[in-house]
Amino acid sequence: MKRAAAIVLSNPMSLAGVILIALVVSSAVFADLVAPFPSHRGAVVDFANFNQPPSWPNIMGTDLVGRDLFSRILYAYRISLILGIVVLLLAVPAGVVVGLAAGYIGGRTRFILMRTTDVFLSIPPLVLAMSIMGVLEPTLANGMMAVTAMWWPWYSRLVFNITLAEKEEGYVLAAELIGASRIHVMFREILPNCFPAIITKMTLDLGFVILIASSLSFLGLGVQPPTPDLGSMVAQGASYLPDSWWLTVFPGLAILVAVFGFNLLGDALRDVLGGDQ
Amino acid sequence: MTRILKATMTGMAFAALAVAAEAGGTLRLDEVAVGELDPALATDYADSMLMFNVYDTLVLPRQGGPGHVPHLAESWEGSGTSFTFSLRSDVSFQSGNPLTADDVVFSYERMVGLGRGLSYLFGLVESVEAVDGDTVRFNLSQPYAPFVASLVRLPIVDKKLVMENLGEGEGDMKDWGKAFLSANGAGTGAYAVKSHNPQEETVMVRNDNYFLGISEKAPDTVRLRYGLEAATVRTLLAQGEHDISSQWIPPEVKKALADDGMQLLTESGTGAFYFKLNTTRPPLDDVNCRKALAKSFDYASVLKLIAITDNVSGGSASTGAIPVGMFGANPAGQNLARDIEAARSHLAQCKYDPAEFTVEISWIAEVPLEERLALLMQANLAEVGIKSSIKKVPWALFTEMVSKPENTPNVSQIFVTAVTGDPDTLLYGMYHSSAAGTWQSPEYLSDTEVDAHLEAGRTGASEADRQEAYAALNTRLMEVTASIYGFDRQSVFAANPRIKVPALSDPAKAFGLDGMGFSFRLIEME
Repeated sequence: MKRAAAIVLSNPMSLAGVILIALVVSSAVFADLVAPFPSHRGAVVDFANFNQPPSWPNIMGTDLVGRDLFSRILYAYRISLILGIVVLLLAVPAGVVVGLAAGYIGGRTRFILMRTTDVFLSIPPLVLAMSIMGVLEPTLANGMMAVTAMWWPWYSRLVFNITLAEKEEGYVLAAELIGASRIHVMFREILPNCFPAIITKMTLDLGFVILIASSLSFLGLGVQPPTPDLGSMVAQGASYLPDSWWLTVFPGLAILVAVFGFNLLGDALRDVLGGDQ
Repeated sequence: MTRILKATMTGMAFAALAVAAEAGGTLRLDEVAVGELDPALATDYADSMLMFNVYDTLVLPRQGGPGHVPHLAESWEGSGTSFTFSLRSDVSFQSGNPLTADDVVFSYERMVGLGRGLSYLFGLVESVEAVDGDTVRFNLSQPYAPFVASLVRLPIVDKKLVMENLGEGEGDMKDWGKAFLSANGAGTGAYAVKSHNPQEETVMVRNDNYFLGISEKAPDTVRLRYGLEAATVRTLLAQGEHDISSQWIPPEVKKALADDGMQLLTESGTGAFYFKLNTTRPPLDDVNCRKALAKSFDYASVLKLIAITDNVSGGSASTGAIPVGMFGANPAGQNLARDIEAARSHLAQCKYDPAEFTVEISWIAEVPLEERLALLMQANLAEVGIKSSIKKVPWALFTEMVSKPENTPNVSQIFVTAVTGDPDTLLYGMYHSSAAGTWQSPEYLSDTEVDAHLEAGRTGASEADRQEAYAALNTRLMEVTASIYGFDRQSVFAANPRIKVPALSDPAKAFGLDGMGFSFRLIEME
């Protein structure tokens, strides 16, 4: 732990990542306390005060129906983080199991699992998610499903490659010699050695999941109004550039901060855990 | 930040002066894609702009007042079920072919034969015959008061040219020249099509042989571009690389352009903005629930939202079911207003429990203003205890959804205009039970009293009769509350001040017909 702290502190970029993410996560968690206008996350309109540039008390200005942008961005972080975490919690185990099984068992299993993975990988991610969302109702749950469907193959690829290398290692052969079951070898011997790579990738991916979810809602396929969402905020403001610049600049910056922060944090974790991409 | 942007803009404006001087005789505009060039398929605003310039009609709306004046026709006589038109003898098509009565007959037959676009306007025409070379007679199956008005939607096409260019198809008329006319012009109009790509751009050039002559000041070339983003139009206009915006850019963008010295052009009096309530599905099949919605809605806030400058707005207060100025309308000033108490009492009488339903409010993806109107409606309904959800629907999907009542949203937001300027073409298509299930009529209203008033309105022998019928219709529509009447619409365009468009800036020159203000021959470039 001390070593980890030392590594992070010695690298200013890692430190920046930790700070940014601490900021993002705490604004999402404490949105109710921090947001100056908590009711503005919902169905509120205030046409006496719409489309106003940043000023006190609306430090990031107001949107097209008079809601405080700063408050909405805080709540949008909450949605984005929930979405990112849920997607990864679903996608990672699925991808890991597929990758482990394909890599360790090999043969026909490997062929079927990895070719299926390849099929998913061959479809451009946004197109896949868009077609799923196009068929289903655009809701938060379906959005998560759509992004999950395009995310797991990357983990099966990653784990598959590691497994191929690890299964020739001495400790695996030793376990096999004393008669350990396949399940034991896969999950107790090989999997722990995949963790550094998986965790690093998860941290990096959290930013990208947020980005993809924003792209989906930019296209009108994500979270539906009045729920605040960074992607749809950018989309809504785009028609009003350059005059009402705050409508797009602040939500855009918010996306940037989250994605950038998770990237830096991912790099920092890689240094700490010694995993490599 | 604002200052930096402003400084950049000013820099652009200087660069623009040079460009503007060079452009001289080219008028540059934009509209929503697609631009349908075939006049028999023309329905929306972009199509109308093309049609009114490439083609001419027998009559034109009188500028600055009600009624119609002869145009390709020299004069007409008749009433009831028979109308005879004498054609001008000095008109030739852009191809050089002279205009004859046969062309008029052919244009009617082609419109009805294809059966698309606004061909329904001629449903009561039984036959059209060429009496001689320059006289043509229309026979109607029953009196139809707005018949002459509907002729502004019968563009006259060059029969000889079309017959020489028939494409693949079944029957004698093959494709009625559809393939040819969707890419080429075949009219008598003041502007001829030079190139046409329905998704990108139509370029038109002045027709120097136009029968009325064209002022020197009118543009030599017109470039109509499709599908530009609001932010693009805003920048191009500020740079002097664009001349007139479409009406669809948001009010804030128009305001910013006005602040930059652009002029605002307006066109009004032909339509309104509606929240259309699906009367066939719970909970809005109960009139009290519909009234609860109508009374909850904050009509005054909408006016704030659509205001552009102190003097120009995207609309004016609605006074009832018929836009101010049309037959049967309530006078300006008797504005609809929010009444929360009334809304609550209607809701209490509704047979559905508000705890158990959610009203689905849709908005058209191409019209960003509607998202805000949906949010306003949602907040208004929340105040009286009605839950609602908001759904964004692209236009193409919406027109498909409304063909079945069970797929039609509870609340749909639509702008509708009278395609001929006559109230019949606004109201019949929305409320007659036989017309249910189009994008104009997602109410699926079926009310015998409404039907009767609509019939009386279209067959009324005198203006007084029509006035009476439409006034009764107005009252009845407010009782059944099939729609919420948001506001009377005014189309607003931001334009470079060097362009003079009298038909869109001087009420005495206004046509009272959507799109006709863009008769390029009447536009002056300075």
